Amino acid sequence: MNYKPDERTLIAYLYGELNHEETEKVEAYLLQHPEERAKYTALSDVSEILGHVQDKEVIAPPVFVSDPSIKPLWSYSSIRFAAGIAASILFILVAGKILGPEISYSKGELRISFGKPQQSQPAPVQQASLTEQKVAEMISTSLAKNNEEQSKGKTEEQKKLLQTIADFNSKKIDAMTKQASLASQEQVRSFVAGLQEQNLKLMKDYFQLSSADQKKYMENLLVDFSSYLQEQRKQDLQFVQNKMNYLEKNNNQFKQETEQILTSLISNPGKKKNNY
Amino acid sequence: MAETLPDIAMMHSDRLIASAREGDKNAQGKLVQLWYKRIYNFSYKFFYDHDMAMEVSQKTFISMHKNLAGLQDVARFKSWLYTIAVNSCREEVRKKKASRSHSLHDLNPGEGEDSYRWEESHHRNENPERVLRHSELSDLLQSCLLQLNPEQREVVIMKEYEGLKFREIAEALNISENTVKSRMYYGLDALKKIFEQKKITKETIGYEL
Repeated sequence: MNYKPDERTLIAYLYGELNHEETEKVEAYLLQHPEERAKYTALSDVSEILGHVQDKEVIAPPVFVSDPSIKPLWSYSSIRFAAGIAASILFILVAGKILGPEISYSKGELRISFGKPQQSQPAPVQQASLTEQKVAEMISTSLAKNNEEQSKGKTEEQKKLLQTIADFNSKKIDAMTKQASLASQEQVRSFVAGLQEQNLKLMKDYFQLSSADQKKYMENLLVDFSSYLQEQRKQDLQFVQNKMNYLEKNNNQFKQETEQILTSLISNPGKKKNNY
Repeated sequence: MAETLPDIAMMHSDRLIASAREGDKNAQGKLVQLWYKRIYNFSYKFFYDHDMAMEVSQKTFISMHKNLAGLQDVARFKSWLYTIAVNSCREEVRKKKASRSHSLHDLNPGEGEDSYRWEESHHRNENPERVLRHSELSDLLQSCLLQLNPEQREVVIMKEYEGLKFREIAEALNISENTVKSRMYYGLDALKKIFEQKKITKETIGYEL
């Protein structure tokens, strides 16, 4: 048997990456050739010694990745500068419009004013056209007129009053005597009938009212029942929600555990070796 | 169909990658959280330098964010991510070579105990039995790794520490699987010689630990 594994096969054998058939071949060869076996053992010793290097523990820094292609407009300095000037000009214009300042220079005085200048107007001077005598005359005539009118009005009113009192008294007494004479048995009857009718109406109303009450009561009962049902439904929903939350939590936990396993798998790569 | 927990986790990972590809910021953040430690440790072992590792990890994930939309196959995410990481590492190496400034510190350090580096060295005493103590073992092994040429170093780190399959490494580096295996073989062989030089053996390590 002149099978001789080359270096590559030996290395693949060392790290357990040969298929079953080839592995057996290499093993048989190494058994038969002690000098090759010694070489192989030296290699696997080196690998074993290398295994004593420990991993350094390191914590991954937090990652902040931003998209640099999208840059806001105001981050360009030229645009900021132009916007600043525009804003100040606008401010001055608006202030000017609101305050309306006026600056004038006349007769050696400088005036800065806001709004329209106010001009003081001289008060009109009235000339006395009435004399004292005329006034006195006017007063006396008006007084005389007034007195006359008052005395006339008084006498007329007195007359009217007397007449109306006399009229009213006589009319009222006549009407009362008439009514008393007209009151008869018929009227009494109609009165009684009216009373009966009223009673009937009252009874009817009463029954109607009570039935309405009953209706209302039934309605309330129904409403209560439906609200009870609704409450029950709400509770059931809450219960289902709680269950779902619990499931989700479980799921999250499972995910976390999976991630932990993944971390340990990746962080600690295992080695499978054939140690002769 | 029996689904094991790792299967479920991997399915979750695929979903995460898919939604990250669609532009889900949350999923992208989660991917970073998941893979940051691996990418950091990969580049740390490549450079044996914390700052460089941070730099490379950052660049890798920025690039991932930019190019995730172009990822064809979700199943290839892992090798795709390592491709980015390897490229970032190579870029850093090129930059380092291109920069003309040198630290005064690196100029003419002298030899052996006369060197000013002697004082600040972790390995003041070159006797491995005393150096190999607990946490310093990692440092020592890492300095050995640094002596490999970059091509072998990439493959050895990916295989030994990142647990990638040879197929995945080949995809990530865009070379054939056979080339990967050869590099691995010669990488281990070179390391064997370095270990012999430094008198590191399985027994000395076992004794110290």
